[in-house]
Amino acid sequence: MDKQLQEIRERILRELRETKSVQAIEQLRVQALGKKGELTGILRGMGKLPPEERPVMGQMVNKAREAIEQAIEERVTEFRRKEKELRLAAETLDVTLPVEERSQGAMHPMNIALEKMIDIFVGMGYEVVDGPEVEFDHFNFELLNLPKNHPARDAQDTFYVDDNIVLRTHTSPVQARVMTTRKPPIRVICPGRVYRADEADATHSPVFHQMEGLVIDENITMGDLKGTLDEFARQMFGEGISTRFRPSFFPFTEPSAEVDLTCANCRGKGCRMCKGTGWIEVLGAGMVNPKVLEMCGIDSKKYSGFAFGMGVERISILKYNIPNMRLLYENDLRFLTQYR
Amino acid sequence: MKVPMKWLKEYVDIPMSAEEYASRMVMTGTAVEGVDKTGEQFDKVVVGKILECEAHPDSDHLHVCQVDVGGASPLQIVCGAPNARKGITVAVALEGAHLPGGKIKKGKIRGVESFGMLCSGPELDVPEGLYPHIGDAGIMELADDAPLGCDVKQVFGLGDDIIDFEILANRPDCLSVWGLARESAAVLDEHCVMPEIAVEENGKGTFDDYAKVIVEDSENCPRYCARIITNVKIGPSPMWMREYLYGAGVRPINNIVDITNFVMLETGHPMHAFDLSKVKDHTIVVRRARENETLTTLDGKTHALTPDMLVIADKENATGLAGIMGGEESEIVDDTASVLFECAAFERANNRITARTLGIRTEASGRFEKGVCPATAMEALQRACMLVNMLECGDVVPGAYDNYPNPAPQITVEAEVSRIARRVGVDIPGEAMEDILNRLNIETTLAGDVLTCEVPAWRQDIETDADISEEVLRMYGYDHIPSTLMNGVTMPGKRSAIQAFSDKVRRAMVGMGLFEVLNYSFISPRWLENLELPQDDVRLNAVRIRNPLGEDTSVMRTSLVPSMLNTLAGNLSRSIPEAKVFELSKTFSPTEAGQLPAEHHVLCVGMYGAKVDFYSAKRIVVWLAQIFGVEAQVRAGGDGYYHPGRKAIVSCGNADYACLGEIHPDIAEKFGIEKRVYVAEIDLDALMALEKPIYGVKPLPRFPAVTRDIALVVREDVGAGAMQDAIRKAAGKTLEDVKLFDIYRGEKLGEGVKSVAYSLTFRAPDRTLTDQEIAHAMDKVLSAVE
Repeated sequence: MDKQLQEIRERILRELRETKSVQAIEQLRVQALGKKGELTGILRGMGKLPPEERPVMGQMVNKAREAIEQAIEERVTEFRRKEKELRLAAETLDVTLPVEERSQGAMHPMNIALEKMIDIFVGMGYEVVDGPEVEFDHFNFELLNLPKNHPARDAQDTFYVDDNIVLRTHTSPVQARVMTTRKPPIRVICPGRVYRADEADATHSPVFHQMEGLVIDENITMGDLKGTLDEFARQMFGEGISTRFRPSFFPFTEPSAEVDLTCANCRGKGCRMCKGTGWIEVLGAGMVNPKVLEMCGIDSKKYSGFAFGMGVERISILKYNIPNMRLLYENDLRFLTQYR
Repeated sequence: MKVPMKWLKEYVDIPMSAEEYASRMVMTGTAVEGVDKTGEQFDKVVVGKILECEAHPDSDHLHVCQVDVGGASPLQIVCGAPNARKGITVAVALEGAHLPGGKIKKGKIRGVESFGMLCSGPELDVPEGLYPHIGDAGIMELADDAPLGCDVKQVFGLGDDIIDFEILANRPDCLSVWGLARESAAVLDEHCVMPEIAVEENGKGTFDDYAKVIVEDSENCPRYCARIITNVKIGPSPMWMREYLYGAGVRPINNIVDITNFVMLETGHPMHAFDLSKVKDHTIVVRRARENETLTTLDGKTHALTPDMLVIADKENATGLAGIMGGEESEIVDDTASVLFECAAFERANNRITARTLGIRTEASGRFEKGVCPATAMEALQRACMLVNMLECGDVVPGAYDNYPNPAPQITVEAEVSRIARRVGVDIPGEAMEDILNRLNIETTLAGDVLTCEVPAWRQDIETDADISEEVLRMYGYDHIPSTLMNGVTMPGKRSAIQAFSDKVRRAMVGMGLFEVLNYSFISPRWLENLELPQDDVRLNAVRIRNPLGEDTSVMRTSLVPSMLNTLAGNLSRSIPEAKVFELSKTFSPTEAGQLPAEHHVLCVGMYGAKVDFYSAKRIVVWLAQIFGVEAQVRAGGDGYYHPGRKAIVSCGNADYACLGEIHPDIAEKFGIEKRVYVAEIDLDALMALEKPIYGVKPLPRFPAVTRDIALVVREDVGAGAMQDAIRKAAGKTLEDVKLFDIYRGEKLGEGVKSVAYSLTFRAPDRTLTDQEIAHAMDKVLSAVE
């Protein structure tokens, strides 16, 4: 009987290796282990054995059964794996097919630059303040130490609505409004649209944007101004960019400075963009003129402050290497779609 | 202001290259536009003398010359100029010389060797203004005493560096050679040596014997100085003076006029020379213009004057605009015999207003409106007389007229060393400050912490200790400013509410596929008319700019729609197939006279393209509203510039906050648009006011939802919005959602009707709904919509 068992076991295992489908395996399983299967038959035939041999035989049958069951399971797993492999192989895609156009738009490059500028100063504890674009001469000029018929007004060709109302030529009137209504400490930035009666060309636009900053507190120094602008330069244009201060004149500040930044194109080595100097003129700044503080009702003996102002378009042009200012106001989608 | 280096060096040592000097000046606050060298157009051209001049054997006009250029043996040069002849001194371009026309090589001219070229004025591009008539005869004929072999640039006074200074508005004193020499001396720590003014009064009589001056308005003419020159001999001024004038960009004219210009450039004082014989009654009156008075200026233009304008007049008529432009009559001419030199100071604001009003801008008016120092006017006049002595072009009559009723007081400023140091953030010792200020001619003494500074008359810009701090710091060096960050109270950084809201709107627009555009805030009034608004529409009442660049940019926008249509038209004209753009900007509406206009924040969306329709625009508005938690009730209606059947108004409660639609083809056409374009206008101030913040969330559903679909056949003119509202109302509380999923039109349904299919979702928060409950709700829906 055990010889027969041996024969069945080997035959089934051999046939199992030759099976070609999951169905064939199932058939074989029924043939071997089913109710009418061969191993079941042997178990049934065990009744004819002497009682003392039965447990031994039973054990042998169970062993054979386990071996067959295990082999079937392995065989099934193998088939499933192969089937999956085939299916996956058949599902191969052309991953190089193009995707449809991205549906996202973009902000204007001026506003991309402005948003970044605002972020930098908000991060340094500045509050963003707004003000009217059509402004009283009083705030736009007079409170800023630019009385009527002052020749320095020439630098800012002004659009007038009437004798006392202008399109603001800078965002400084917002600072004047802040100084006349708040008490120090003051730490604000004023971004916004400004207007100058300049014909549009590669570097001018009658409408453009500025961002000015104002800090007033006790013991504010020109070093603090430099430190602030150095930090701005680094965050805006990258490590290794710093500022250079040159003496200048603005009626609103004393001392005043033109501020150059390291040319981001050549990193200060000198190139065509910076005309070989390694520096690019970017903004104006200075210590708030005590006369201005007094005109705005702030005690200039106790408080000092600094102010700075920069053209947002200019920053944007430098940051994105835009060749001509006019591109910013032509609204040509072939230009605007480049600012993801 | 252009200044030849040579001129500056007459008064101050500048022991360095022009470039280094320029950079030192820039870093101390005197901006330099550039450094130009004169005579850069040629090199290797020297002085030579023609020793022999023979006819060319093979030509009827060429000469073969032997030219001594100071070398061991003469050079043979073939020359075609008619005036080439033995004995004249000429400019010789040597072999290898670069001329404006090219490089000179030795070669054979019709078989005769030639080792250079004899030059004419134009061949060297020698400035005609400096050397009139120099090239008329052919080759240039130089003075006989010019040293042979010497670079001709030296002979011509070329090869100098011209520094082009850009003088800041607060430093009119530096609009002069003397001012710049003083500034340079302070910057370079060199001595500045000014010429000693000494006038030889070699004329007869005194001033009063020749002329009378009456200053009626000394408020606007704080100082008037005048002197008389007799026996005037008009002629060209000497080479050195012409050279300086030319280098400074002023055309030399004749000795008297050149002296006035030279003194203006040197001292900063505009001067005027009158031909005394043509001044009626030899009387000069400085007065305000009379009502209806007119004046013809030197340039031949006639101006109508007003009584606030200051004029120079004879006893009866205005002859010149004070400090702006002289009159034709008393101009210096070749036979002028006596001259009255005027050197005056005019009040800057008055001068500026007059020049502006009449639209005249001259060198003199530019200087007066920036500020000319009255205190130094007489010195300038004396300098002019000294030059008359020097040029021997006339006799200086003893005595001068000088009206200076209110001499400017001495300005003394006290400044604290510690306060300056604190302000600039640099520890500059008091002694260093004192030294710097003294170098700047600000006579300063230091006592303890206090600097007492006596400001020279010409520094009208220095009034306070802040000004002193700038003087100190710029000389000490801005590069000493440390990079620090302020300590003190920490402040919360934040955006303003409208800024934060606008940023969110921009991001939403970008997410919906729109590109941001920027337009000018001012437009053509015609663009507003193009919208064909009703006559009483507030948008037709725009803020006007009094001095616009042009009519096309003369009114402030009351609507963003015209610029948007122009933007779309621009992109259509560039054959861009699709555009989806937005602009976020302000509109302006007038309020009361003398008050600021109201400014409104507006978002405008514009789009066109094959896949763009009315609903594309509607989607943008509704989605934007949803982002801010604002209800978007859409109803048909809106402005006349929209398509009558494709326009809508969007509201929340009683507040309309947006409108949108397809632009009416007639209006589109006016903006050059032939395609369908869509526009949406959103009032951001209104939307911001309606914004609902996210506060808490609904509990997630615990019981299943049941979905039922219905299809309703209705007349074409029944709106989906109304049907949806009816369904919502009828279905009761358990209706969670209702979605339109199909509209069908077809022959089977018949004309004028459509089948609209909705999917209704029911759910209760506390139980699973029964079939009966659903059936009941559906019955109510059906009966409601029937």
